[in-house]
Amino acid sequence: MNDLLKELYQEIILDHGKEPRNFGECETHNKSAHGHNPLCGDKVSLTLFVDDDDIIKDIKFSGEGCAISVASASLMTEKLKGKKLSYAENMFKDFTDLVKGSEDSLSTIDEDDSLYALKGVKDFPMRVKCATLAWHTFKNALKE
Amino acid sequence: MNKDKTLHKDIRKDFPILSKKILKTKDLVYFDTAASAQKPQVVIDELNQFYKSHYSNVSRGVHTLSVESTLRYEDARKKVQSFINAKSENEIIFTKSATESINLVAQTFYDKYMSAGDEIILSLMEHHSNLIPWYFLRDKYGVVIKFANITESGEIDVNHFESLITPKTKIAALTHLSNVYGSKIDEKISSICKRNNVAILLDGCQSAAHLKIDVQKLECDFFVFSGHKTYGPSGIGVLYGKENLLNEMPPYQGGGGMIGEVTTDKVSYAELPAKYEAGTPPIAEAHGLGIAIDYMNNIGIENIINHEEELTKYAYEKINELDFVEIYGVGDNRNSIISFNIENIHSHEVSSFLDVEGIAVRAGHHCCQPLMKHLGVNSTSRLSFGVYNTTDEVDIFINALIKCKEFFIK
Repeated sequence: MNDLLKELYQEIILDHGKEPRNFGECETHNKSAHGHNPLCGDKVSLTLFVDDDDIIKDIKFSGEGCAISVASASLMTEKLKGKKLSYAENMFKDFTDLVKGSEDSLSTIDEDDSLYALKGVKDFPMRVKCATLAWHTFKNALKE
Repeated sequence: MNKDKTLHKDIRKDFPILSKKILKTKDLVYFDTAASAQKPQVVIDELNQFYKSHYSNVSRGVHTLSVESTLRYEDARKKVQSFINAKSENEIIFTKSATESINLVAQTFYDKYMSAGDEIILSLMEHHSNLIPWYFLRDKYGVVIKFANITESGEIDVNHFESLITPKTKIAALTHLSNVYGSKIDEKISSICKRNNVAILLDGCQSAAHLKIDVQKLECDFFVFSGHKTYGPSGIGVLYGKENLLNEMPPYQGGGGMIGEVTTDKVSYAELPAKYEAGTPPIAEAHGLGIAIDYMNNIGIENIINHEEELTKYAYEKINELDFVEIYGVGDNRNSIISFNIENIHSHEVSSFLDVEGIAVRAGHHCCQPLMKHLGVNSTSRLSFGVYNTTDEVDIFINALIKCKEFFIK
């Protein structure tokens, strides 16, 4: 099997793509956003509950899309739960850098991180949008 | 298949891009002609030659280069006229794309013949380019849009279409060949429109390079197609319109080239076809399209059709043998396009997997979101053929599809 594909579709990606974590809607939420990639039709809806100390207490997503976009959303929710918003925003930047192939100055994601599994996307430029859809939706939810 | 294989060995040499290796090792299998066709060497060379030796603006100057450019530009118009069997070259308008052609018709047809409350019929399987220009009319002027249903087999439901017609129906705009199903429109629809005094626009983007086009036999009022899907350059589209309609409708854009006389108070417009060609047109692109038409004519449209029919049939049967693949639409009315999904694998995964094998297929909604909704899917994969494809390539594709399924579903 081709190495690029192995890199792209690591076990963890296929697993989260098939059985996404934190799928659904938060029971109570104070931030939300819908994301849509008009080029391919992938959709994601995100709900969050952020407390007074800016900590993400709960985060869930729903939607439909390819394995990359679903897995990315699933991994994102796992990572962001419990994080402070300022830290989460740094993760946004690091993650988008990572999938675009610039991994030199990451401060919040390291090689042992589950998010690192999406690094293979960099060799499939047309799939970067799949991987970043959930993250951009997260960013939009914060703008509310 | 032997006949076709000989035909196509030579033809493949005409397309330099086909010798490209994907990821340095895999032979390119280009199954995305419905999105855009590859270009034969002769078109590439002629574009080069045109810019090197003949280029200038058209229909303006009297110098040698202006004459040489204008002759080639107008010669391309004659080639298009004969290619689709229009009565007059005045009926051939060059635009920047088929999309622009449809926008032109929507705006100017409305201006002349429609008002609020009048009705337009589209189908559920139209490309966004044949939806949104009409949505503009609905949003701006309050015209009513009705949608004809699609049958199980992927064709416009003729009875339903006919039942939508009322005295307020002014125009129907429909795909001549579906970019998702590959199904051809039922010719009865034109006669129904004619009988009810409804104008009809056919979107020929997918048919122009894959069927014999005769706008008089089709009995359509408007026919649009693009250069880039017919082995020509991007940046050029064609609008065919019946001469009396094009004469009656107002101009689309204002600018140089479309005028008769201009004073500070008023303007008169140029005769057809210049009336609809404001601004410097796609000059070299028109010439390139003319060369692409010559190229298809040299192979023979019938030969192209026969080859693609055999190829489509071959691929359909092969894919149909795979129990994990669902094909959209059924029946024999299928030309050069097959849309499918592998159970439980998103089309993006399929397309990325195939890409690594050197195979280019389209994944996504194909600019047909209403149809995707109708099918109850988020997206599909689509293979589409051109004159250069072979059954060997289909075999490579089938093997890759099996590997793809094994990769994702263990």
